[in-house]
Amino acid sequence: MKVLKVPARTIAVFVLPCLLLYVCLVFVPIVVSVYTGLLKWDGLTASTFIGLGNFKDMFFNDPVFWPSVRRTLLYAVASMIEIPLCLFMAILLNRYLKKGNTLVSIYFTPVILSVVIIGQLWKTVYNPTSMGGMLNGVLVSLGLDSWTHNWLTEPKIAMFALYFVSLWQYFGYHLLIQYTGVQNIPDELYEAAKIDGADGFKADRYITLPLIVPIFKISIVLAFIGSLQAFDLVMVMTGGGPAHATDVISTHMYTSSFGSFKYGYGSAIATFLVVVCLVFTGFINTIFNRIERKFN
Amino acid sequence: MVKTKMQKSFAIGLTAVMALSLAACGNSNNNTNEGAATNAPKSTDSGNAATATTDSGKKVTLTFQNIYPDPATPAYKMIHELTDQYMKEHPNVKIELDTLNTDQQKVKLKTQAASKEVPDITIVNPAAQMKPFVDAGLFAPLNDMLDQNGLKDTYQEGLLDYYSFDNNVYALPDGNNIEVVYYNKELFDQAGIKNTPTTFEELLQDVKILKDKGITPMAIGEKDSWTGSFLFMNILLRTNGGPGFLQDVLDGKKTFEDPAFIEAVDAFQQLVQAGAFPDGATSIDANAGGNIFKTGKAAMWSIGSWETGAIDASSVAGKVGAFQFPTVNGKGDPNEFMLAPGSAFAVSANSEHLQETKDFLNFFASEYPKKQFELKNAVGIGQKVDGDLKAAGYSDLAVNIAGLFNQVKGGDLAFDNTMNPATAQVHLSSIQNLFVQKVDSAAVAKEHQTAYEANKE
Repeated sequence: MKVLKVPARTIAVFVLPCLLLYVCLVFVPIVVSVYTGLLKWDGLTASTFIGLGNFKDMFFNDPVFWPSVRRTLLYAVASMIEIPLCLFMAILLNRYLKKGNTLVSIYFTPVILSVVIIGQLWKTVYNPTSMGGMLNGVLVSLGLDSWTHNWLTEPKIAMFALYFVSLWQYFGYHLLIQYTGVQNIPDELYEAAKIDGADGFKADRYITLPLIVPIFKISIVLAFIGSLQAFDLVMVMTGGGPAHATDVISTHMYTSSFGSFKYGYGSAIATFLVVVCLVFTGFINTIFNRIERKFN
Repeated sequence: MVKTKMQKSFAIGLTAVMALSLAACGNSNNNTNEGAATNAPKSTDSGNAATATTDSGKKVTLTFQNIYPDPATPAYKMIHELTDQYMKEHPNVKIELDTLNTDQQKVKLKTQAASKEVPDITIVNPAAQMKPFVDAGLFAPLNDMLDQNGLKDTYQEGLLDYYSFDNNVYALPDGNNIEVVYYNKELFDQAGIKNTPTTFEELLQDVKILKDKGITPMAIGEKDSWTGSFLFMNILLRTNGGPGFLQDVLDGKKTFEDPAFIEAVDAFQQLVQAGAFPDGATSIDANAGGNIFKTGKAAMWSIGSWETGAIDASSVAGKVGAFQFPTVNGKGDPNEFMLAPGSAFAVSANSEHLQETKDFLNFFASEYPKKQFELKNAVGIGQKVDGDLKAAGYSDLAVNIAGLFNQVKGGDLAFDNTMNPATAQVHLSSIQNLFVQKVDSAAVAKEHQTAYEANKE
């Protein structure tokens, strides 16, 4: 900045339009929905201010709320566990393939498909045997009849069936990020390490891992926030059913606002979601700052 | 005051974006029939429709939100032919159809309503479901328009009551249906079942026979949870020995923990346990559920008589009969039905062209019965029709259903037409739960009662 000698005021002027847009589209709605969360309001008629009443209901009286929070967090954890795996794959691809790009592109395909299509696709895969579900069909043909399930309608299994689809879809996405990160590490470093006697996984331990940390963090944060907001896939595949067994925070918010006409209550759930996102993003950042410092 | 209003509309804007992006997902498959389904704001002219522009009258564009997306159905033809005819006769009026699936339309209307931007004509459901909109002052009373040319008298006696609040009629129904059990005669023959069941025990027995033959006994699409509720309510109508259970709850005379309700839950569970429904029913949406029956893969389908026309247009046409829901534990009267006064056309109170909209709706509603009759879709419409069904070439099924209408001795409305939305929501998922696990019926009753008390106004 100093080199260009641009006065701070000029920078402010150029930043302003974007900042305004951001404030209007992101901050204002958040503030408004925090406020709406304090109302008893059906979205149509007059509202009454009830303070923290919605939050009290949410935390203590809503049998659907805590289970859906638990499912959401599990979702987040599952998608974060996937990322080390992506990194491992990326390292292998980078090391053993001259042209890994084609393969990465293939892994990436599910990401560009619309979630609705993915949902419909996997619905048919998960279908019960009587409706020709592919997964059950394969199990039956392997003689594993007892392993067949109604994947999307058995309350204990349905949520895991959804997790799997989501992991499948985003595997290529995180693989691409990690792969790019690994590729950007200069070869000289590895060559130097080789001279010092560090090769293969040893080189990964001392060169790849420390250098990939920032990229790794991006993936983790994206995966985490993305799964907290998971909505479309659940809506398409199960709609939160059977009987709330696959409800996550966002689908619960949706049915409260639009199904039950409890707009204020839905906003309270939205507020909770925002807070959780912020807290965990902060948390993840702190952890990674420590890790980075350690490596340096 | 002004400030809070602004804040509200922001909040709504945000959720609207969310909801609409969701609606957009589903939209893509409907809107392929060009020009037919136009999303309200984007297009100025969807092609084939209005040609004349040089009329002296004020140029007016009306938006007609509707739920007839499927080009294979008579209802789709009906709405297109009627609007085209009107536009030809009134060159200054252009009608844009905003065509959506039922569920999408419900969500879209709610978001629009929250920002007071209701389309000129929209679709609502009767009684409790339209009450919040009426309370919010979003709909225009239609009394004057109904009286102006005797349109009111074409409606069946008492039907408009479901759409009236404080002596004002706010919407005109597209039908008046009852719940019946359709059955596939061929599959019944295959299983060796001679007579349709008249008691619940016989029904259970038939379910078992069909199941043993490898035939799905009853079709249902329980991802849209109203379908299971509609069937459940029919059982409750029997175990309660007649209509009025929910009204009694509302009046404080009964609670959900009443024996009649618990008995209904138990009976419903018996049906589920007997394997009456397709595997994975809760992940099948309502349309797909109906198609199980319409493609001849299920023997029975308990649903509203509005499906008659669609069944006659499907591959099982001619093989289908219908019977009344049987008595349960010897209780109830088969001639009492679940009543389903149809979705209805309402006019936005804030419409820029209120008079033109009312004029069009008057034309539409007056021509509606004739057009439906012509398209062989007149079974279960809420208006009187001239003409003999049989002579006009209607199917035996249609004549059969029309006969059942004459036997109606009363009945109940669907749960979500009687109770407030929040209680209905709990009910719907509670019934959906019965499809996937065995539950203590007393607990189901308690869940209902708790939800009812928590959401009472």
